[in-house]
Amino acid sequence: MTACASMSCRIDGIGVWGPGFSNWPILEAYIAGSGQYEDDQAPGPKPEIIPSNERRRAPLPVRLAVETSWQASQQAGIAPSALSCVFSSGFGDIDITHYMCTTLNTEAKQLSPTKFHNSVHNAPAGYWTISTGCMQPASSVAGFKESTPVTLLEAMAQLVTEQKPSLLTFCDGPAKGQLIPVLINDQPFAASLVLSPFNSDDEAKKGDTLLKVSVQQNVVEWPALKTSALQSLYTNNPSARILCLFEKLANLRDGSSSILMPLSTETSLLLELERG
Amino acid sequence: MTIVTSDYDCVCAAGVGMPEIRQALLSQTSGLRPNDFPNSSLTTWIGRVSEVDHQNLGVWQSRNNALAEIGLNLGSLPESINRIKERYSPQRVGIVMGSSTSSIDRTETAYADLDETNAMKPEYRQPKVHNPHAPSLYVAERTGITGPAMTVNTACSSSAKVFATAARWMDLGLIDAALVGGVDTLCLSVLHGFHSLQLVSEHPCRPFDADRDGINLGESAGFAILEQGDFADVSGKAILSGYGESSDAHHMSAPHPEGLGAKLAIEQALNRSRLSPADIDYINLHGTASQANDSVEGTLVGKMFPQSTLCSSTKGWTGHTLGAAGITEALIALDAFETNLIPGNLNLTRMESGLGLNLMKDNTEKPVTHVMSNSFGFGGNNCTLVFSRV
Repeated sequence: MTACASMSCRIDGIGVWGPGFSNWPILEAYIAGSGQYEDDQAPGPKPEIIPSNERRRAPLPVRLAVETSWQASQQAGIAPSALSCVFSSGFGDIDITHYMCTTLNTEAKQLSPTKFHNSVHNAPAGYWTISTGCMQPASSVAGFKESTPVTLLEAMAQLVTEQKPSLLTFCDGPAKGQLIPVLINDQPFAASLVLSPFNSDDEAKKGDTLLKVSVQQNVVEWPALKTSALQSLYTNNPSARILCLFEKLANLRDGSSSILMPLSTETSLLLELERG
Repeated sequence: MTIVTSDYDCVCAAGVGMPEIRQALLSQTSGLRPNDFPNSSLTTWIGRVSEVDHQNLGVWQSRNNALAEIGLNLGSLPESINRIKERYSPQRVGIVMGSSTSSIDRTETAYADLDETNAMKPEYRQPKVHNPHAPSLYVAERTGITGPAMTVNTACSSSAKVFATAARWMDLGLIDAALVGGVDTLCLSVLHGFHSLQLVSEHPCRPFDADRDGINLGESAGFAILEQGDFADVSGKAILSGYGESSDAHHMSAPHPEGLGAKLAIEQALNRSRLSPADIDYINLHGTASQANDSVEGTLVGKMFPQSTLCSSTKGWTGHTLGAAGITEALIALDAFETNLIPGNLNLTRMESGLGLNLMKDNTEKPVTHVMSNSFGFGGNNCTLVFSRV
């Protein structure tokens, strides 16, 4: 049948927020071995881009996702309103799920209307597009523990089809209540990438980081992470699975590298990085 | 690349399978009934599927998965799924599902049945069920399709967007065919959540009626198989000729007052399908029967489309099936290619004045060539689809 296609882009911006790091330069330094890693237990970010009356009501995953989306779009120097977006979460907002299920087991079943509208999985996409005046397509997708490769696939397909830059944001907050032993994750993490179209006749500039993505018909395990301090985050937080790509990026210098992520039960996603 | 739906089917309050749904549409028999959902005393009407109460899926159990299971067994879907697996190989087929609540019904049930230490009982400890990707995980497990699988969770536009995603993946050669679907089931979260926003009607919903007073929640599972129509031996039922996606950038739970985001989605879908408004014979409107949606959508569509375009909301038959509404209503719209039946706008007594829509309570019988379906969701998330006769 049709040959496996590969899709290319340039990585223009990276945003990240997690235990012990509040942006990409800090995380990059940890991965590269400079700087002592420590989980500072910091409360979540409060991105000022969200209008203040909305910010008070914005749940943690929304604040995380908007913060890293802002970082990545700022680094890329692209107006957020020009970016198609794909947001993703492996487990959804467990804090709100816990609130809803607890409240619905009371006699009155009196849900907060704000919490209810924040319970939609596209709340981060909604807050982001509202905060930045972005009327581009915004998706919100899930792939359980394969959320990061699925999101990369979806965003790349959109970018190549539309030939427009794209924002990807991965975000998962910690588990809560009775769901703690079921959806095992105790640390918050969000990351964003801003990707721009890069076609075969485009010329790469010095320092450009190019990414090529393709679907492979083989079964792979998640690659091991070398940065041991981030191991539990990487294993448990579905969004933090993007760290295997970030580790490659931090160590890329000038050269090329590749990584295979499991995508579905019989396919994987090949990511090929190149920096000139 | 021409992308066709080679098979499709649906289960909702209007019927279990397309033959029953067609009959309900033809006879204008609503599937709505007074709320009898367990543990909910809300005064409202709901579009409930009774058959789902009798399913037991063991470790995969949830009301949502149970409704998906009914859907997967409908009509010729089982044969069609086997056929595409054999023809393209299981890993070259994609799964794209849409859902708003996924299996939160099961999480609600688990919380209502905690053990004496207030912990979740072992039978409810189902990580693959208590997460937003649950519908695709279940469909993959159940069908043996092993290609890329993704769940779109953009509230009420979820299962409209699955067509756009699958079309892109197929166009780029990432997959050869797709099983797309939407599944959303009634649960306390949506009944009492929409109630908290004062959006639920105590009566059968009346989309676009001057006296409408809110929505009715419903449940549905719809599936479609998408293949490349260029292959001579693929007999398509409808061509996916266009899609449009946009954001309102306005408010989490209220539409843009002038429907700017919706307009972008409709324009994009028309451009992609290379059609003009006058080419569209029928639009299945989002038409939730909420005050805001119907005013904004009705005014916008009335301005954009001529009187020759017939319009209706079919939520008077099904209720608002949220994340499943996109595909459910797309299938009702494109089924007109088979039946020549354009559904009317059930429960309409007197249309809100000034909308400029060609919208009637009664059905119309006539052949159609191009149909459109609108889906607009919380977070200002919009998707419009256009299908054409093969």
